[in-house]
Amino acid sequence: MPKNNSAILLIDSEKCTGCRLCEMACSMLHHGILSPHRARLRVLRFDNGRCNVPVVCQACEDAPCIKTCPMNARRRIGNQAVITDEDRCIGCRACVYVCPFGAPVVNPDDGKTLTCDRCSDEDGPPWCVRACRDCGALKTVTAEEAVARKSRQRAEQARAAYPPKKRPAA
Amino acid sequence: MNVLIIGNGIAGNEVAFFLRRARPDCRITILSAERFPEYDPCSLPYFIGRDVPRDAVFRKDWQDYRTHRIQLVLDHPATAIDPAAREVTTAPGMRFGYDRLVLAHGGSLYIPPIEGIDRDGVHSCKQLGSADRLDQSGGSAAVVIGSGAIGIEAAEALKKRGYEVTIVELLDWILPALFDPETSQRLAANLEGCGIRVLTSEKVLRIEGAEKVSAVVTDKRRIPCDTVVIATGVVPGKALAQTAGIDVARGIRVDAHLQTSAAGIYACGDCVETVDACTGEDAMFQLKHNAVEQARVVARNLIGEPAAYPGAWAFARAHFFDTHAVTFGKTTRATQCELGQLEIIERDEGADYLRIITKEGRVVGGQAIGRFGDVIGLFIGAMWRKDAIPDIRANWPHIIRKGSPYPWTHRQLGESIGLKP
Repeated sequence: MPKNNSAILLIDSEKCTGCRLCEMACSMLHHGILSPHRARLRVLRFDNGRCNVPVVCQACEDAPCIKTCPMNARRRIGNQAVITDEDRCIGCRACVYVCPFGAPVVNPDDGKTLTCDRCSDEDGPPWCVRACRDCGALKTVTAEEAVARKSRQRAEQARAAYPPKKRPAA
Repeated sequence: MNVLIIGNGIAGNEVAFFLRRARPDCRITILSAERFPEYDPCSLPYFIGRDVPRDAVFRKDWQDYRTHRIQLVLDHPATAIDPAAREVTTAPGMRFGYDRLVLAHGGSLYIPPIEGIDRDGVHSCKQLGSADRLDQSGGSAAVVIGSGAIGIEAAEALKKRGYEVTIVELLDWILPALFDPETSQRLAANLEGCGIRVLTSEKVLRIEGAEKVSAVVTDKRRIPCDTVVIATGVVPGKALAQTAGIDVARGIRVDAHLQTSAAGIYACGDCVETVDACTGEDAMFQLKHNAVEQARVVARNLIGEPAAYPGAWAFARAHFFDTHAVTFGKTTRATQCELGQLEIIERDEGADYLRIITKEGRVVGGQAIGRFGDVIGLFIGAMWRKDAIPDIRANWPHIIRKGSPYPWTHRQLGESIGLKP
């Protein structure tokens, strides 16, 4: 039974400081070295570090990479993450091209692609989430929590944009 | 319900297994013209090139059909459909009745009318049987006729096997349907750099040889060889439907629910002519992801869900040795005859090349080689959403501060088309 079942990796780019500890943690767990090039997520940096966006495989429900892979190497595992089967991957990068986020990472060692498996062999939260506990930009939540969080966030934004007016006295 | 599926390819199997998951009780039969479980034609060149073992080309094994109770009838190509009697006749003369019929027999290799094309040593790489023959035939010099995706991949595979390889293309540039000449010329140069000879604007006149192939004669030269690979494209299999009185155009005509003009007969995969999901124009992209999507729509309609098919999308990659190229949407040639202001955004940095085709400020297609391929998915997204490139330019570089529905995506798009941070 894979671990981290039914957990959604929630990304809040506004909390991301661009420290890249998540990249370090990811490469350490999966490859045993600290190498951001081998991390399965990347932090994009914009506006001189004022905006940082962690990019990671979203495990799309109808994932285009599964459909376009010529070797059928992209497959969904038990915890709903979509991974590349390294025995089948030929390094053609079809998944990199078709991904709407540009999430798959090409392994510099063998040219095969790497994507987030949500640390399916680990107990407890994925390593990137543990590494990010100070900032809280990466979190694992259930689907219900994610929806509730999103609607609350939207409501707050709407409230800020349209502050309640005092009703004229009747 | 008794569902009969003609064709044991990607589309046919997707229909069968999707249907089985939703309906444990209906009867599903697949008529296959070949004698293998489902395999992926996209994988065949990599098996010939020994990148992967032969087992890796299969998407299903025999046990999958048994556990899902799908009857697979091998070596039974369908020869006739009788829509009135709801019966299909196969080549060995057997008749199969149906309540719902799915045409998923795909396309067949286009065999150009060249003298000597039936000689020993002329191969193709579209089906597993022919790929096996090519794999087992020995040789040292090969000519690949046609330079589509299959042709390029076959050329790479044979080169890896130690053949002397020549690609002969009738049109002026390689991969003519997928890439613009500017991109293709770079790819051709890379192919030449890998030791594959590329001859464009050349017509093959005949294939010479007594018993076995000895040379290919074009209008410019004579190329000695012992192996010929035909890769001149795939024609949709529409004859079966046409003789049954079903509407056909370039492929089998279908409505939004992928039903053909005959009630109860659906079609999906390479044999179908559908619309482009982005532009709404008639389209025939014989690509795997479209076959899978169409098959799911057919299966959902079969179980009574009125699912509509949004349309096909063009996306292909070309990959040989350490060259990685990708194309999506329309090429310049396909957009030139249309109204609208075209702008082509090019970036050329050494081995990396990006070419984005925009019409009226909206992305309609693009191609990339090398590192620019990493962001091509963002351009595909921009094409689907019809994002305005002029807006990105106007708000540059403060897209994130000024607010945008896709802030970091647009920011990255801007950097990719060469706007300075």
